[in-house]
Amino acid sequence: MWKEIGDRQSGKLRPSSFITRIRSNRVSSLQLSNHKEIVSPHRGSINSLQVDLTEGRYLLSGAADASLAIYDIQRATDQEGGGLIAKHKPILHVDKQHQNGHKYAISTAIWYPVDTGLFVTGSYDHHINVWDTNSSQVVMDFKMPGKVHRTAMSALATSHMLIAAATEDVQVRLCDMASGAFSHTLSGHRDGVMAVEWSTCSEWVLMTGGCDGAIRFWDIRRAGCFAVLDQSHSQLGRRPPVLERSTTKVSTSKSSSPGQPSSSRSRPPPKKATSGSGGRVLRQAKGSAKQRLHPGLLSSQDRATAHYGAVIALKPTEDGMYLLSAGSDSRLRLWDIQSGCNTLVHFEIVRLQSNKAIQLAVTQDSALVFVPCMTSVKAFDVWSGKTSTTLQGHYEHVNCCWYNPHDQELFTGGNDRQILIWSPPKFISQDVDDEDNWSD
Amino acid sequence: MSTYNYVVTAHKPTNVTHSCVGNFTGPQELNLIIAKCTRIEIHLLTPQGLQPMLDVPIYGRIATLELFRPHGETQDLLFIATERYKFCVLQWDAEANEVITRAMGDVSDRIGRPTDNGQIGIIDPDCRLIGLHLYDGLFKVIPFDNKGQLKEAFNIRLEELQVLDIKFLYGCPKPTIVVLYQDNKDARHVKTYEVSLKDKDFVEGPWSQNNLDNGADLLIPVPPPFCGVLIIGEETIVYCSASAFKAIPIRPSITRAYGRVDADGSRYLLGDHSGLLHLLVIAHEKEKVTGLKIELLGETSIASTISYLDNAFVYVGSSYGDSQLVKLNLQPDTKGSYVEVLERYVNLGPIVDFCVVDLERQGQGQVVTCSGAYKDGSLRIVRNGIGINEQASVELQGIKGMWSLRSATDDIYDTFLVVSFISETRILAMNLEDELEETEIEGFCSQVQTLFCHDAIHNQLVQVTSSSVRLVSSSSGELRNEWHAPSDYSINVATANATQVLLATRGGHLVYLEIGDGVLEEKKHAELKYDISCLDINPIGDNPNYSNLAAVGMWTDISVKIFSLPDLNLITEEQLGGEIIPRSVLLCAFEGIPYLLCALGDGHLLNFLLNTSTGELTDRKKVSLGTQPITLRTFSSKSTTHVFAASDRPTVIYSSNKKLLYSNVNLKEVSHMCPFNSAAFPDSLAIAKEGELTIGTIDDIQKLHIRSIPLGEHARRICHQEQSRTFAICSLKYNQSSTEDAEMHFIRLLDDQTFDFISTYSLDQFEYGCSILNCSFSDDNNAYYCVGTAYVMPEENEPTKGRILVFMVEDGKLQLVAEKETKGAVYSLNAFNGKLLAAINQKIQLYKWMLRDDGTRELQSECGHHGHILALYVQTRGDFIVVGDLMKSISLLIYKHEEGAIEERARDYNANWMSAVEILDDDIYLGAENNFNLFTVRKNSEGATDEERGRLEVVGEYHLGEFVNRFQHGSLVMRLPDSDVGKIPTIIFGTVNGVIGVIASLPQDQYVFMERLQTNLRKVIKGVGGLSHEQWRSFYSEKKTVDSRNFLDGDLIESFLDLGRSRMEEIAKSMSVSVEELMKRVEELTRLH
Repeated sequence: MWKEIGDRQSGKLRPSSFITRIRSNRVSSLQLSNHKEIVSPHRGSINSLQVDLTEGRYLLSGAADASLAIYDIQRATDQEGGGLIAKHKPILHVDKQHQNGHKYAISTAIWYPVDTGLFVTGSYDHHINVWDTNSSQVVMDFKMPGKVHRTAMSALATSHMLIAAATEDVQVRLCDMASGAFSHTLSGHRDGVMAVEWSTCSEWVLMTGGCDGAIRFWDIRRAGCFAVLDQSHSQLGRRPPVLERSTTKVSTSKSSSPGQPSSSRSRPPPKKATSGSGGRVLRQAKGSAKQRLHPGLLSSQDRATAHYGAVIALKPTEDGMYLLSAGSDSRLRLWDIQSGCNTLVHFEIVRLQSNKAIQLAVTQDSALVFVPCMTSVKAFDVWSGKTSTTLQGHYEHVNCCWYNPHDQELFTGGNDRQILIWSPPKFISQDVDDEDNWSD
Repeated sequence: MSTYNYVVTAHKPTNVTHSCVGNFTGPQELNLIIAKCTRIEIHLLTPQGLQPMLDVPIYGRIATLELFRPHGETQDLLFIATERYKFCVLQWDAEANEVITRAMGDVSDRIGRPTDNGQIGIIDPDCRLIGLHLYDGLFKVIPFDNKGQLKEAFNIRLEELQVLDIKFLYGCPKPTIVVLYQDNKDARHVKTYEVSLKDKDFVEGPWSQNNLDNGADLLIPVPPPFCGVLIIGEETIVYCSASAFKAIPIRPSITRAYGRVDADGSRYLLGDHSGLLHLLVIAHEKEKVTGLKIELLGETSIASTISYLDNAFVYVGSSYGDSQLVKLNLQPDTKGSYVEVLERYVNLGPIVDFCVVDLERQGQGQVVTCSGAYKDGSLRIVRNGIGINEQASVELQGIKGMWSLRSATDDIYDTFLVVSFISETRILAMNLEDELEETEIEGFCSQVQTLFCHDAIHNQLVQVTSSSVRLVSSSSGELRNEWHAPSDYSINVATANATQVLLATRGGHLVYLEIGDGVLEEKKHAELKYDISCLDINPIGDNPNYSNLAAVGMWTDISVKIFSLPDLNLITEEQLGGEIIPRSVLLCAFEGIPYLLCALGDGHLLNFLLNTSTGELTDRKKVSLGTQPITLRTFSSKSTTHVFAASDRPTVIYSSNKKLLYSNVNLKEVSHMCPFNSAAFPDSLAIAKEGELTIGTIDDIQKLHIRSIPLGEHARRICHQEQSRTFAICSLKYNQSSTEDAEMHFIRLLDDQTFDFISTYSLDQFEYGCSILNCSFSDDNNAYYCVGTAYVMPEENEPTKGRILVFMVEDGKLQLVAEKETKGAVYSLNAFNGKLLAAINQKIQLYKWMLRDDGTRELQSECGHHGHILALYVQTRGDFIVVGDLMKSISLLIYKHEEGAIEERARDYNANWMSAVEILDDDIYLGAENNFNLFTVRKNSEGATDEERGRLEVVGEYHLGEFVNRFQHGSLVMRLPDSDVGKIPTIIFGTVNGVIGVIASLPQDQYVFMERLQTNLRKVIKGVGGLSHEQWRSFYSEKKTVDSRNFLDGDLIESFLDLGRSRMEEIAKSMSVSVEELMKRVEELTRLH
């Protein structure tokens, strides 16, 4: 650490690389936090976790007992162990008794991306509620045609305030907070929709994953979906392979220069890439017979699947280039968003929960993905699929995780009603005794 | 309140990041273009050396600087891309002598993550396209059309995410890039791609090469006839093309820069991390490459860029030491080096730490920086103003005037120094022993005060006293002629040059005399309305002995009049306004431009442009130099004429770029000055000050003076101890002989005058000096140096052990008096309430200084505070502690005396990765962060809720574009307590690029005024390449971009003074104030640095 700080000071290490390096060092050492705890008031399994996107300060949790809570994760409510362990009790807690509370399990709870004055919850009681944080009152609600699985709002949006809702229904609805009505109904899935995410590089692009195993991309300015991901569509062989001319090793030197980052991202096998819109490429692949159809209708006939079984989670990487999906087939897939190709990275997952939507988390530099795998959370290297760490701590199934890039902390919630914090270890020097040695 | 801040550069960036050579300013002119992070300099190669042509700021941090020549152009264009994804193409306008923008644009994308290894910008050698690698996984292409215009850009997916370098290959039918990348097993490979502009995609290229040197990270494309690419590794260099593969081993080194010598690409200069310069030669038979050869040429500064100029002249730009102009000789010198350093260009970067001291105890701060890195590490003493190097001095009270005289008209040296007192005149002269001794000139009247003296033609001297004008032979000293003033009309003021005398008597009479051979002839007489306060007939025309104009300052009506000579006709009259009479007028020419300077009795100076034929005065400007009456005198230094303004704040007035500049002289108070160029004291000045006559030489006339103390090792921390008059530094020395990464760390004690090492304390193996402090403790009068260290073990991610060492200076030696082990790195040390406050990893720990039973002292921990990721930067004020965290912005702690505890009071919840913090005042704290931004936060003690009180509110945001390593309270200039500017608190900062800057907290009304000026200036002054100033200064981080607020860009505001009169008037009009008022207020601000 000191070396990096010194190198940054003398201009040897670029400030941006400094951040990347320290972040990746810290995230690779995640462990159950030895200095921070969350006191969960929930009496049901935790289904959803999110830290606000503006300050990285308030954690919102939604649980199966229809309760929701907000915690200040920066400022502890109590200290324990001589100030070494910070306890975070909820600063807001709403349960069934609340006049506007949900009746059944809360499946999703998300912050309004612009500020922490509002948040949105979705429940199995078919309702999506918009809450005013300060008054803890519901200011708007949307009646959905079935159980709500997931909701999503675009963090980039400057020209709309849409809540995308994935429900039991085959249609994805966009709830407009500005008008209080549904602005869009997106048809294409043949079964309920479990996962919904907005693109991280365009405020108009929505990605949904259904129980039909399909992942669909929508541009909400146009009719219909513009791409359907196909697990068999990989990028092998797009650019002719290199002549295997020079495989002789030029140098066997083992020196590693101090200027070179020692950690490196490993990459998936060569992939296809394209600069055009992904939709066009897919349509071309479909053959000429369908090209006469309206582009919006075209995709509705596309029965390609991304997973065998339901798509239970989606998570785009922060750079907007890749999408991770989890299926009830216990597979995690990495997709190249622009081309819609399956990158064929094999993630070493043994088993995933198959009956409900889960929540994945990705680090800021897309190096690691955190996946709830039954009672543990596994961190996989995104590019190689290898397990980086397994976080064991929950007693029952884990449902959701949220990565807070500000502090390189991971929050996980599970059926054991606990919210656990995983953080880089703090070297807590045992100098408590040292502080009080008045004599000698 | 220090909410309103004004940021200005006192020393521009000097870290050379890029350079290139080409025909930019003309088809036949060879230019060197240098980028210094946020500035570009254009130089012209002349037989005399590098001649600067242009030095302009760029509103961005330069990421790419490339010259290229589209088809059909006769000279090169300059492509610049900035780190904030702006680019521009510049062209030289030979008529206006300035750069014009050919094209500009934004190449940012929503998609993708910014590259980790830095941005790459390259131009196809056949000018078909510009390639940019700005985001991982994307290669942006800006194609050229047939006319050399840029077309719309597009992205191509690049599979290799871990890209180390990309270059265009020469001699390819289609634009082809070669990519050096690292795979997931840390192996390095190169690959080629053809860019298909039609498909907007890559096509697999002609060849590739796998498994290169693990340290390969530089590609050099080889031009025709060989083509192909050189891959520079740490242990091998490889030449690779479709048909050939040649490799040679090299001594392990990291090559940082290269420069191509020949146009055919057969020889290259390589500069490595230890400053060694090698020549790489491609051996060939006709057009077939047969091998590589490498030869060591010698040592330079550690190069960041190398440009081969011409005829074996090479420019070596450096980030870690001074940049150099070197010549490569054919024969080695005695040390076996082929490199001859011809010129060094000062580089202060990286300024890792600095301290502000007043070594001369004159009330003026000097900055001593830890500059440079590795072998080029040094201390630099940076001082504002011009120093006088005292050669001799005598005690003499009550000097009323001084003049130097020569013993013959054509003598080059001055012989006599005439010193006038209230009732006598003494003459000093150089005797044979080169000593100054009192002598006599027979014809001079020495019983009265002398009003003026001058050399005259025909080996004569002129003395003016209150009753007469005496003409004396300079060789024999006899009186040759005398002109008597009429009785009752004693002479008040007088002036003269070699052929003319002008004097004024009581009652407003002006008398003009001309000097002949032994003759004084009264030519003209005029009677004015009021008494005359000052006169000048300094020749500024073609004849150095004769003036056509006379300047006269008046009592009563407070005016300056210009008379023609010899007929004494009034041709111009300028009312000065106010009630302060002019005390000294001077006609002089700077850089060929004639000026009239007029100094007032209250320390103000007016200057006018003077039309020598019509006598017309224009462009009136007023500045304040001091508070006492000013006496103006010309002198010359390095054959340029300057003006010395003697007052309570002596100032040298000089001209640069046809603009008058004022630089203060580092003397307290000077009543009179005259140049005294004697054989023993060449180019000296005689200065009368506070009962003393001093003879001394003057420094080079420039604003900032920098003295270098090369250390040969890298100083990381510095502090000064007044009591022992020493500096202490933490430094490290790289051991180059062994292959291991051996570093040795020291605490060194330096004398604060000679800067010699006087004592050294070696730290343990793996132990680094992290912080240093000069402090004293309560109940102990001694001054101590406290040093915080860390044991940096190779296997540990974060240090878990460190020490606090307490030293005392005894007999010029560092004596360790106490030592305390810590559980981590001691990132910061502060004196705090007579105790020692240390930041140790994530903890703030307070130690008290305890007396043990045996009389020795020890540090004992009192209390601490957890709750930071890493507490890197700490400042204290009273009981308050301000902590800059590694990644969690600023937090405010308070020490509670009664409880003996430290508690958190408030915090900024933004995710700023800090690089420095400082306390501006009780409520406002200043921070610098990782993305080159500055921000201020305010403590909100009046908040209604705990939540509000617990939050530091961000009140100011600004993009500095510089990485700040250190803030310090202090000032580079002499602060006069009674002036307005003297009351403005200032902070100095030092950056990686060698910038020394000043942040001044302005009063609100002044801030509001200056903000209006800044807004107006933005409209008038356009950024180079069309880059927007407003965007450049907006706070910019990973998460957000917001407009700057509560910070002003002093560099922009002060460029107001460089504008032409018409543009000044335009701005003044839109602000509805007068140009004079605006100039006065801006000039006041320039005195802050």
